Amino acid sequence: MFWTREKLYEEIYNLIVDCCLSISPDAKDLLQQSLKKETNETAKSMLQTILDDVEMAKKLNKPVCQSPGFGTVYVSFGKNANLEEIKDIKEIYAQAIIKATKNGYLRPSMVHPLTRKNPGDNSGIGVPNFEFNFIPEQEYVEHILSFKGCGAELGNAMKIMTTAMLGKNYVGFKKFVIETALAAGGKPCPPYAIGIGIGGQMDIACKLARQAVSIRDWRDSNPDPLMKELEIELCDKINSLKIGAAGTGGNTSCLAVKIETVSTHTAILPVAISFHCWVARRGGLRLYPDGKKEILFRGN
Amino acid sequence: MMKEVKLSTALKEEDIRDLRIGDVVYINGIICTSRDMGHLKMIDVTEKKEKLPIDFQGGVIFHAGPVVKKQGEKYEVIVIGPTTSIRMEPYSDFIGGLGVKAIIGKGGMEEGTSEALKKYGMVYLQAPPGCAVVLGEKVEQIENVFWLELGVPEALWVLKVENFGPLVVGMDSEGNSIYRDIRIKGKKLIEKMF
Repeated sequence: MFWTREKLYEEIYNLIVDCCLSISPDAKDLLQQSLKKETNETAKSMLQTILDDVEMAKKLNKPVCQSPGFGTVYVSFGKNANLEEIKDIKEIYAQAIIKATKNGYLRPSMVHPLTRKNPGDNSGIGVPNFEFNFIPEQEYVEHILSFKGCGAELGNAMKIMTTAMLGKNYVGFKKFVIETALAAGGKPCPPYAIGIGIGGQMDIACKLARQAVSIRDWRDSNPDPLMKELEIELCDKINSLKIGAAGTGGNTSCLAVKIETVSTHTAILPVAISFHCWVARRGGLRLYPDGKKEILFRGN
Repeated sequence: MMKEVKLSTALKEEDIRDLRIGDVVYINGIICTSRDMGHLKMIDVTEKKEKLPIDFQGGVIFHAGPVVKKQGEKYEVIVIGPTTSIRMEPYSDFIGGLGVKAIIGKGGMEEGTSEALKKYGMVYLQAPPGCAVVLGEKVEQIENVFWLELGVPEALWVLKVENFGPLVVGMDSEGNSIYRDIRIKGKKLIEKMF
């Protein structure tokens, strides 16, 4: 077995640190594009400061943002995967996060949800969160780690809509998304990306929303023509509200909208909206059985 | 016209009342972090008629929690940036009463804060969101830390800063708010969209 526990630990620790020190290239590219298009002076200054921050983080070997957000790891594997390479990963991530915290890359931010007690090292039940997916023909084990900021979570919304609420041309759905973005204003650290999960039940829509904005390239094009159209329309309409970078006005508050759907019951239309701040701390590993390795969402 | 202003702590009420939304501010001197638990603790201490660890007259509260490293007995800031201010909305009148003259954060605050800004002559300053390296470099040193038992993010960190900014006046002491203006215009735009 090539991917021993020691080798996995090293890869995972390096991935965590790298995610703290830089944002994914898609987010950086979209931020640069929005600065070029910006006409509002305050927003220009905010966007320039954001891009300076990204550069300085790299130069000084410091985390891009003080808040580590909350980590989720998306793990997928195929039918030929060696379970020995997967069985310890929850423990490995948890330990590597504690080490990265001790080394000053992650602020100790995980607390008990009710007592609010902070153990001081980002340890805790369910930290990080894991989503496992079985894709029979996949030849590699894939991990995508996403530290998603929690200021952005304060803007999130979830609604069980109905056929009547949906209305003609999906106007009810569109209004729900755009009104949620207006209410969120500058809270989710704009320019942000938005993940939208539609379908299933409450839990399914929420997980899809988080996943859409975490594992998709923010510049990709949805293969489903209707979703592609909706993604572009919603992004444009949100930007037309002129919330701007930092929420103090400007042309770009939304870098991308990513929609994922699954079927639902005829009685309901679950819609979940998940904001992701510009600080796209995510990265992935594709580990092949022969030791070959691909790195995803990195390289800034 | 938008202006750029450099201010030193302790802040003077007349300087703050001069600021208008859109102005850009840089701060020199002492600022103090506080977030959800820190504010609750301040209220608790005050209600018990005990003394707060620092004097907030002319003071600045920064909604933030740093990444720090302990070097010997002293802490050093690695990075620090703003947290979402709306969570601290219930405490604006209380901190105004303590003599705080500026709140630094992100995302803006609501009407209760707008009232407190008018009443006490305070201002809300929007920091560049997520820009913890840029802002962290403007922290010269940690002067003191209190209530560390609340955890690193929630403790009261007293920071000496130089040229701390750029900070945009998001809400001023005349009751103006960039965030409110955007929301009102946005509602009208949505009505016309479909």
